[in-house]
Amino acid sequence: MDRPITSEGVDGASLNEQELAAVVASLEPDQIISTKEKHHCPRRKLTRMEVIIFWSLRAYLIFMFGVVLYQILSGVR
Amino acid sequence: MAISGGVVITHEDIDRAHDRDRVSETRARRGPWSRARLLWLLVGPGILVMLGENDGPSMLSYAATGARFGLGFFLPFVVLTFVMACVVQEMTVRLGAATHRGHAELIFDRFGPFWGWFSMADLMVGNFLTLVTEFIAIRAGLGYFGVRPAVSVLGAWLVLFVALMAHRYWTWERITLVAAMFNLVFVPVALLSHPHWSAIGSALVTWKPFPGVSPEIILIVLSNIGATVTPWMLFFQQSAIADKGLTTHDIRFGRIDTLLGATLAALAALATIVATAPLFAHGMSAGNFEAAEFAQALRPFVGRWGSALFALGMFEAGMVAAVTISTSSAYAFGEVAHRPHSLNLPFQQGKSFYLVLILEAAAAAGLVLIPGIPLVYIVLVVNVIAVLAMPPALLFLYMLVNDREIMGDLVSPWWANILALAVVAVLVGAGLLFGVSVVAPHLLTLIGGK
Repeated sequence: MDRPITSEGVDGASLNEQELAAVVASLEPDQIISTKEKHHCPRRKLTRMEVIIFWSLRAYLIFMFGVVLYQILSGVR
Repeated sequence: MAISGGVVITHEDIDRAHDRDRVSETRARRGPWSRARLLWLLVGPGILVMLGENDGPSMLSYAATGARFGLGFFLPFVVLTFVMACVVQEMTVRLGAATHRGHAELIFDRFGPFWGWFSMADLMVGNFLTLVTEFIAIRAGLGYFGVRPAVSVLGAWLVLFVALMAHRYWTWERITLVAAMFNLVFVPVALLSHPHWSAIGSALVTWKPFPGVSPEIILIVLSNIGATVTPWMLFFQQSAIADKGLTTHDIRFGRIDTLLGATLAALAALATIVATAPLFAHGMSAGNFEAAEFAQALRPFVGRWGSALFALGMFEAGMVAAVTISTSSAYAFGEVAHRPHSLNLPFQQGKSFYLVLILEAAAAAGLVLIPGIPLVYIVLVVNVIAVLAMPPALLFLYMLVNDREIMGDLVSPWWANILALAVVAVLVGAGLLFGVSVVAPHLLTLIGGK
C-alpha cells in the first residue's frame, strides 16, 4: 500500500486518488460493495431429492407450528 | 462515492478498509502483545451471538430449570447445547469469511428468490416474537427496581437507537460487547447462593439425577436447546462477519471468538441454574415466575445485592438481545431485498436497513405495553419455536457450507458434516418428541415416560 487511509467516516468523494487506491488495496476484491453488487453468486439447480427435503422440512415446520398453537389454545382454555 | 481505477468506492468501503488496515498492520508485527491485539481486533461476532442468545427467555428458561429440577441432568445438558451451538456457528464463520456475504443473501442467490424470501420470513416472524420477549425481560428486570414499564421499554428502545448513531460497525460492536459482558452478573449471584460444589461436579460428570420423561420435562429440554441454538444466530454471525470484513485469513480467530463466546455464555447459563437451585432445594414453586419474581424469591438465599444483580442480569439479557436480534433482521432484509445493509452506513445511505432495525424493535416494544396481551404464552413458546424452525435453516447452512463453488477448499470436512447432521437429528428428534408430548402424551410411556 502506498499510503495509509487517513480519513474515516467520510464519503469516497472527499478522498484523494492515493487514498482511494489504498482503500482498494486494503480490501479483497469481492469485499468492495460495487463489485459485490455486480457479481452475485450464481444460482444452483436443486436436485429432485433436495427439493423433496426442502418441502418435507417446510411441512414439518408448519405441522409443528400447529402443535404449538394447539398447546397455547389448550393452555388458554 | 468516488471512483478509483474504475472501481466505485463507498463510505462503507472506506470504514471497512480502515478496520482491515489495523488488522494487517497488527498481523505484520510479532510477539504476544501483537497476537493479543489481533485477537482484540478480530473478536466480536462470536461473543455477541453467544451472549446475545443468553437473552430474556433463555435466562428465564435456565432459571426455571434450576428452580424446578435443581442441580442434575440439565447442567451437562446445557453444556452440550453450547457444544451444538459451536458446531453450527463455526460453519457461519467459514461461510462469512469465504464469501463476504450474509446468510440470507447466499440463500437468495444460490437457491433462488422463493427460498430466499421464505427463509427471511421465517426469520422475521421468529425474531419479532423473540424481540417481544426481550422487552418483557427488560420491563421485568427494571420493574424490580421500581421503574415503570413505559419508562423501561421506551428507555431500552432509545439505548438501541443511540448505539446505532455512530454509524460505524466497530463502535457499535464494542459498545454492545461491553454491555454483553454484564451477562456474567449471574456468576456472582450463583456464588452468593453458596452452591454445593460437589453436587455440581457430580451432576456434570454423571448427568444425574435424571428427571425422567414427561411433557413438562420435554418442554424444558426444548426451551434449553432453543436458549442456545436458534436461526437468528446463523443470520447474525455470518452477516456480522461480512460487515466486519473478516477474510479467510481470520477464520482461526473467528473460531476462537465463537468458542470464547460459547464459554462465557455457558458459564452465565450454568450460573443461572445454580443460582436458582436453592428454590428447588426449599420446595418453592416457580412454575409461572417471571424475571422480577425470580429475583424476589431468591432474596432469602442470595441477599439484597444478589437479587438486584439477578434483576439487572435479566435487563441486560433482554437489552443486548434486542440489539443483536433486530440487527439480524435488518441484515437479512437488506440482503434479500438488495438494499444497502451495514452498520458502517450513514443513515441517509442505509435508510431501509436502519428503519427495519428501529421499527421492528419499536413494534415489539409497543406490543409489550398494550394492557391485557397474554405475553406469558409468547415467553413460553418462543424458545420452542426457535428449535422447530432450526432444521430448515440448518439444511440451507449445511448445503452452503458444502458448496465447493462458493467455498472452494473451505468446504466442511467429513467429521464436521457428521457433527452438523447429528445436531439436525437432535433438533428434529426433540421437536418430534415435543409434538408427541402435546398431541399424544400417553405415548411417552412407551419410552419410559410418566
